[in-house]
Amino acid sequence: MTQSSFPIILAGSGRITVGNRGRDVALSELSSAYPLKLLSPRAVQSKVAVVYVLTYGGGLVGGDQLKLQADLEYETVLALLSQGSTKVFKTRPGHRLASVGRPSGSSATLPMPASNLTSQTFSFNIASRSTLALLMEPVTCFRSASYSQVQTFHLEDEQSSLVVIDWVTSGRKAIGEEWSFSRYYSCNEFWVGRRRIMRDVVLLEDDCEDRAGLGLPAKPLLKRMAPYGCYATVFFYGPKLTDTVAHLTKEYEAISIFKGRWPEKLLWSLSSVTPKEQTGAVLRVAAIETEMVKKWLSNALREMDKVIGADVYQRAFA
Amino acid sequence: MDQDDETYILLLLSDSNLPTGSFVASSGLESFFKHGFASLFPTTEHALIDFIRQSLASYAHSALPFVADAHCVLSSAKDSESILDETIHKLLSLDQLYEASTLNHVTRRASTAQGVALLALYSKAFCTPSELLCSVPSQSPTFTSKLIDEFKLLVRREETPGHLPVCWGILTAALGLSLERAQYLHLFLHARGLLSAAVRLNDIGPYRAQQLLLHVVRPLVAAALSRCAALRTGLLEGEDSEFDVSTHGPANTWPLGELMAARHDLQYSRVFNS
Repeated sequence: MTQSSFPIILAGSGRITVGNRGRDVALSELSSAYPLKLLSPRAVQSKVAVVYVLTYGGGLVGGDQLKLQADLEYETVLALLSQGSTKVFKTRPGHRLASVGRPSGSSATLPMPASNLTSQTFSFNIASRSTLALLMEPVTCFRSASYSQVQTFHLEDEQSSLVVIDWVTSGRKAIGEEWSFSRYYSCNEFWVGRRRIMRDVVLLEDDCEDRAGLGLPAKPLLKRMAPYGCYATVFFYGPKLTDTVAHLTKEYEAISIFKGRWPEKLLWSLSSVTPKEQTGAVLRVAAIETEMVKKWLSNALREMDKVIGADVYQRAFA
Repeated sequence: MDQDDETYILLLLSDSNLPTGSFVASSGLESFFKHGFASLFPTTEHALIDFIRQSLASYAHSALPFVADAHCVLSSAKDSESILDETIHKLLSLDQLYEASTLNHVTRRASTAQGVALLALYSKAFCTPSELLCSVPSQSPTFTSKLIDEFKLLVRREETPGHLPVCWGILTAALGLSLERAQYLHLFLHARGLLSAAVRLNDIGPYRAQQLLLHVVRPLVAAALSRCAALRTGLLEGEDSEFDVSTHGPANTWPLGELMAARHDLQYSRVFNS
């Protein structure tokens, strides 16, 4: 990694480097450019480095492209948190078109520029015996928003650990938005050394499938996602997450399903996806309300407080 | 291969008596009904049709790219014996990517069971019998057989999982079926498998299942195919290609289906293996 003395920071990009200072961890690099904002309570923290990932105005606008690169040096812990869900707007709220003399009216009727796609590209290098906890709040895409998120995790070896929560909500339910964005794409890819161990790609598109003119009924995304308003996926890897996964496995194996008349308000599944001698698992949760998922996760993952500290854990699920 | 040959292969492969293992798979349907999701629809049949639609769409989006690439690897390799290792290597990377992308143990189990069954089907039933070898002047059957035997051996040694879409691409290319037909048949068989699972679960009668297959499933298969036939995994694209994995790569489009499939084993009693 080369470090220029005058780093050029592109719009929306950020860098984090977590260094090992014996008993403490230090953020030897923490930089970001508008509209991305990285904040840390302190530069030197005991054991766990905490960084808040924020955006100006609390959301992303059509065309915003965030890029974050984070490197964790040997035997460090980084927790990435956010405040409130990542809101993805189609256009900037209260936007400026009026000021350039355009007639005021519904923004939805204006043609969008090609750069309308909002994207977030995060990349992580996690050295041996280090732990990344990516515990940001869910993504909420507003009506007609188009969002693409690609997260790549490079774990140095089987002693590196991570826990990653990736979740999406149905939108602003209060104003009648339910799964009414136009496109949501999320790709999480995990490498251990040179081996790709997991790749999860979710594509949610309110696309009328009847391209071939076959007379199918239009099928909104809402129907596909019903009856749930929030879907979460949690990825676990590495020795530091063994206790958390063991706890979940015990709970999961105790479930026994009998014929039900109605779907439950919250459902979850757990799959181990690596050979037995390693900890690698995928947890999926769906519930009617986002708050239910959050509450459930905060209880289900509580073994993790030993990894990131009770204080940080509480802040993540506050 | 002319059209008659292709039709004959299609008839052969669509035989429901083929020992492909699909009769023990419900791809999450049993779990979906057990969880009470039918109550969200006016009738059980509406629920079933919607399940088939969503399942087809998501399976097509995640698996057809692998069928396409495996088919392509084998078809383009058939002419040259010198690239056996290279061909095997490409198939292994496709298989491993599908394993890494299939993040639930139930789906993995069902997929590998059926994939292995297809390989066995080829080497036990479909490869040219030795007494006919000299009378068939087509492509070099020895190369294809050698390749499939080698791949099968790697699966047996657990060096590669042997997933269904990859093995389907291999099998259909080995038999000379065009990619378009291979993809179409793969989706048709997926839908037919769901219907026969529904019959076995007593959610629908056998006559009605055939009626749905003829009149309702056809446009669903066509729609899924038209959306996903051109998708690829990206593994075979060159460094300088403009392939965009976010628009032309595999993806899961139905999170609820994934959840249902993974929860299959939690059922107190169950008929199917997936």
